[in-house]
Amino acid sequence: MNSRDSYNCILISDFNIDNMAGYLRSITEVPKINVVVAPYGQVMQFLSGDTQEYRQNKYDLAIVWTQPHKIIASFNDMINFKTVSVDDVLGEVDDFASHLLGICDKVKYVFVASWVLPIYNRGLGMLDMKFGIGTANTLMRMNVRLSENICGASNIYLLDAWRWAGIAGKNMFNPRSWYMGKIPYGNEVFREAAVDISSFLGVLSGSTKKIIILDLDDTLWGGIVGDVGWESISLGGHNHIGEAYVDFQSALKSLTNRGVLLAVVSKNDESVALEAMEKHPEMVLKPEDLAGWKINWKDKAQNIVDLMADLNLGVESAVFIDDSPFERGRVRDVLREVYTPEWPEDKRFYTQTLLSLRCFDTPYISVEDVERSKMYVSERKRKAVKKKIVSQEEWLRSCDIKVTVDEINGSSIKRTVQLINKTNQMNLTTRRMSEDVLAEWLEGDNERKMWTFRVSDRFGDSGLCGIVSIESAGREGRISDFVLSCRVMGRKIEETMLYTVLNYAHSLGLKEIYAKYISTPRNKPCLEFWEKSGFTFNEKDNIFIWNIGKKFVPPDFITIETI
Amino acid sequence: MIFSAIDEVNERLPGGERLEKSIDTTLFGESGKLDSLGLVNLIVAIEQKIEDEYGITVVLAEEGGLGDMAPFATTGNLVNHVSWILERKGI
Repeated sequence: MNSRDSYNCILISDFNIDNMAGYLRSITEVPKINVVVAPYGQVMQFLSGDTQEYRQNKYDLAIVWTQPHKIIASFNDMINFKTVSVDDVLGEVDDFASHLLGICDKVKYVFVASWVLPIYNRGLGMLDMKFGIGTANTLMRMNVRLSENICGASNIYLLDAWRWAGIAGKNMFNPRSWYMGKIPYGNEVFREAAVDISSFLGVLSGSTKKIIILDLDDTLWGGIVGDVGWESISLGGHNHIGEAYVDFQSALKSLTNRGVLLAVVSKNDESVALEAMEKHPEMVLKPEDLAGWKINWKDKAQNIVDLMADLNLGVESAVFIDDSPFERGRVRDVLREVYTPEWPEDKRFYTQTLLSLRCFDTPYISVEDVERSKMYVSERKRKAVKKKIVSQEEWLRSCDIKVTVDEINGSSIKRTVQLINKTNQMNLTTRRMSEDVLAEWLEGDNERKMWTFRVSDRFGDSGLCGIVSIESAGREGRISDFVLSCRVMGRKIEETMLYTVLNYAHSLGLKEIYAKYISTPRNKPCLEFWEKSGFTFNEKDNIFIWNIGKKFVPPDFITIETI
Repeated sequence: MIFSAIDEVNERLPGGERLEKSIDTTLFGESGKLDSLGLVNLIVAIEQKIEDEYGITVVLAEEGGLGDMAPFATTGNLVNHVSWILERKGI
């Protein structure tokens, strides 16, 4: 992955795609996209990499957008009603896919637009979806076949062009621009595609939002619960607005299955609001679905800051949803990092607005993502117990923490890459990389090792949360990565990770271990940990040093299991 | 209508290359800011707006493509050209 502020992109197409280039260039959000358009109609030459303009490693991203009847000759025959075997069509799709896979090692990412046909093309009419002969049916199979062919490569993404076309509706295909400029699609299609692509690059740079912070009254239900009581709020029932609120809550709850957390910040009496959530028979979201809440009469912006601190999350990972323009304005003014989308007045549009947000996209969904919501709920319970216990260490001792250490392997590499690319606070070097780059690094010349750390305790399993890697040459070792999810920071997992790597260094007979801290705007917690770690700090060079002669004592209350 | 089409074209142009919405703006030619693709986009946008507003289809660049560039040299010329075409259509 790439954390930098701009991407060099090449557009490869069999039609005039300059308008798309214009939209991509005019996007003001980071990352910026520097666009080059490959010569018109030379798709296969570019994919084969045998044109002079093509330079290895020159581009971060290749966007490939073709028309199905132009790139797949037998499909062109089919839409001209010639007798064509679908197997021949799919065979050509396989060839095209192999060319796409061929450029995967020449650029960091490849985005491929799925194939669409102009909606005016009725094909065989009532037979157009018939298996084996219909063009619409075959086009669907072509897209599926393409997807199947490329699914093994981790840096190629097939994008849904039907969605872009759907937004444009009848203006999807524009005969005027086609005949005057060989531009098949209307600009609404290109505009939507460009916004999507910009958003996807943001996702690949690690800017995915992790949590939705919700208001309650007139956001999760209709009415002011403190005034009317939970029995009289508008939610469900035989009422179109009440149904819209239930659907909105269901859509929110479904996002937790993608790893998005939910929380509440509301001006209300806490006991009244929670009673409504617990007792109303049509309430979909219950307190146990929430990673946390701040329900009081304080300023919402301050409550958001406090809530995010409690959850060990940066405010930049939050989305704030509130029906009140005043509250949205307040949060936008003082917390610009929090994404506060405009919200419709009409409650019936809440679900649609939520589901069209791009900010929750991820390049990969891990088991940890799916379980994230449960993990945060466990954490909230953990903290409830912690409040009853005075000392931090006493509390940690009561948690029955278990850490499972394993060398990175095929089953953990995806989650490892995700953690490396998403973690900001406890990250020594903030080194971002793709799966391929990591695999390459592990096979490098020096002795290199990387371990993963899974954490569980009596409240639940936090999953794979930590990564340490070391590179050694001669009698020196360098810690290359030290990454720990904010979910488990401060539970002495950090010390367990150091113990593991120092133990290994000792077994190799190394003399000295060093770790260079690379400062970012967000990894100060990492520096604070290392300053207290017992390593000697060379402040001038930001290097922490450990002499292997010294003994490192791991936390005695953590059970370490090595696989 | 022409200014609104200029807005659409400007969406894809970098800040310094955007067209000014003025009757004197040079659109195409030696000192114009539009290249041939930009001009195509402007013509397509105006034709679409005429269709949306009056329910008729017009062809601003007649057969022979963009051979005669005079109607597209400045915004003023373009306004006159569009008015003339609409008059011919009885609007």
